[in-house]
Amino acid sequence: MSEAAQHLVVRGVSKRYGPTTVLDHIDLTIRRGELVTLLGPSGCGKTTLLRAIAGLAQPDTGKVELAGRDITNVPPHKRNVGVVFQSYALFPHLTVAGNVAFGLKVRGAPKGEIDAAVERALALVKLGHLAGRRISALSGGQQQRVALARAIAVEPDVLLFDEALSALDRKLREEMQVELRRLLQDVKATAIFVTHDQDEALTMSDRAAVMNKGRIEQLAEPRELYLRPASLFALNFVGLSTRISGTVLAANDGKVDVETKLGRMSALGNFQAGSPVIVAARPEQLRLGEQGEANSAAGRVRSVVFQGSRTLVEVDAGAGESLLAELSGRDGTIPRVHDEIRLSWPVAETFAFPMDAQA
Amino acid sequence: MNRAAIVVCWIMAIGLALFLVIPLLVIAAASFSPTPVFDLPLTGASTRWYGRIGRLDGFWPSLLLSLQIALLSTAISLVSGTLAAIAIARGKLPGAGIFATALVSPLMMPGLVLGIALLQGFRAVGFTAPWATLLVAHLVITLPYVARTMIAGLARFDFTLIEAARTLGCTYPGSVLRVMVPALAPSFLIAGIFSFLASFDNYPVSIFLADVRTKTLPIRMLQYIEEAPDPTLAALSTLILLGTVILLFVSDRVVGLHRMAGTSD
Repeated sequence: MSEAAQHLVVRGVSKRYGPTTVLDHIDLTIRRGELVTLLGPSGCGKTTLLRAIAGLAQPDTGKVELAGRDITNVPPHKRNVGVVFQSYALFPHLTVAGNVAFGLKVRGAPKGEIDAAVERALALVKLGHLAGRRISALSGGQQQRVALARAIAVEPDVLLFDEALSALDRKLREEMQVELRRLLQDVKATAIFVTHDQDEALTMSDRAAVMNKGRIEQLAEPRELYLRPASLFALNFVGLSTRISGTVLAANDGKVDVETKLGRMSALGNFQAGSPVIVAARPEQLRLGEQGEANSAAGRVRSVVFQGSRTLVEVDAGAGESLLAELSGRDGTIPRVHDEIRLSWPVAETFAFPMDAQA
Repeated sequence: MNRAAIVVCWIMAIGLALFLVIPLLVIAAASFSPTPVFDLPLTGASTRWYGRIGRLDGFWPSLLLSLQIALLSTAISLVSGTLAAIAIARGKLPGAGIFATALVSPLMMPGLVLGIALLQGFRAVGFTAPWATLLVAHLVITLPYVARTMIAGLARFDFTLIEAARTLGCTYPGSVLRVMVPALAPSFLIAGIFSFLASFDNYPVSIFLADVRTKTLPIRMLQYIEEAPDPTLAALSTLILLGTVILLFVSDRVVGLHRMAGTSD
């Protein structure tokens, strides 16, 4: 592979804190200019992995390479990484411009060069007019931009974002996601985002890694992550789903027939007969009424939640199982609470996952 | 709030402020008294008592000693107290709360008790050099001020700032110097001023450790008032007062303006 395809390489990185394995032989390769998200619940190891790349945490085993250089044992100040922290970590005793200039000053860049770089970075985040302000006089969103400008100003080989948007309120965060992605693509930055917010992961990244218990469960493009989850954990963590437990009756050619409490169903997956499995489908695959060649189940509507362009309908299917359907309302009427309805969904969009891997 | 209640509170605020300030004004007025005995109403003004300060018996050695002890003990307390405060605020020190209380405890102890305890303690271990015992005793006086202020300052300090500086190209010690020290500058200043003042005007502890040749300024001043109570002492007190006001004013300007402009370097 070319150097650009292996811009950042994490090889077999492990990290333990006492009895807890925080990172369990992580392998990750990122192309130059790629935007990658590490997605997972708190404690999954995503922040530790980011810190290991930044040099703020030392892995027990494994290697980290950046821009063709082994940086495993290089201290953070010589790594040429840019980090945007959750708390922004802006220096309170410096102005906006002083913060952005900090990295270049430390590197001993000539004054003219620093001034030009600061101006460029602040223009990029549209804060040029606030260069002389104190940090405490800025709003949260503005501070976020200053932190970004500070990290970009040193032209790092990789930008690392540690839950960098999570302190913003929802609306601002959604705007920033789109703007940040465009900005990073404009400057051709390579970036890694750590987040527990699946929307952020789907919006911002070229690829996202779903992490659980110190391992990467799946690394894929957002679309594939959603449509073809590799594990029950990935399915649960990204998006909503209907999940029904059952036992495999027969298996053939990547397909299984599963006996569930709601009747026999077919799903994609490779299992031996007798294996306990979870059968799952995304809610937008569920339709009112019967379809040919499809799984189906009936029940009583428990709740109807209107969410603008879509309506989420939860159905009590009996035997402790429930169904979740996302109906657009365009192709028919939306049922009411207590209605008895039947839902069906295509076999090709139904997946089987091993039961014991439930997270 | 009830109108009458507000009036009562106003009277309290104004009354207390006068109660605190009037003695200081009186001593300043007394220092300009033309006669050896201060009497109201004033019949003129004179600065001759100010001229006499320097000729007071043993004034210069005592002033020098007090400044030495106050500056040294403040400097030592600032460094050691800050390191201890870091351990308490950040170092996951087992029983950090107990250590914090212990560091601040001399503040809650009467000075007399502290003085007697230190005298007995130093005697017991054969440590009797007056200058050195005074310095060590004043560390006991100044450390709590530094510890208290720095623990509070560090509790608000975001240690991610150091990590941010490191990823931007600073070494670890460099990050501490370029980020932590300036960010904590107000805390250092407040700790330093209170520590210096506490040492400079201490009497109850010093009196047990001083000898004939080693007398701090407060001890010397009390001696003057016993020997010859004339307005020279009022003049000296007024100068100390003026010095303190300037010190507080200037540091407020330095830190305050510095913060307002948001500039460093």
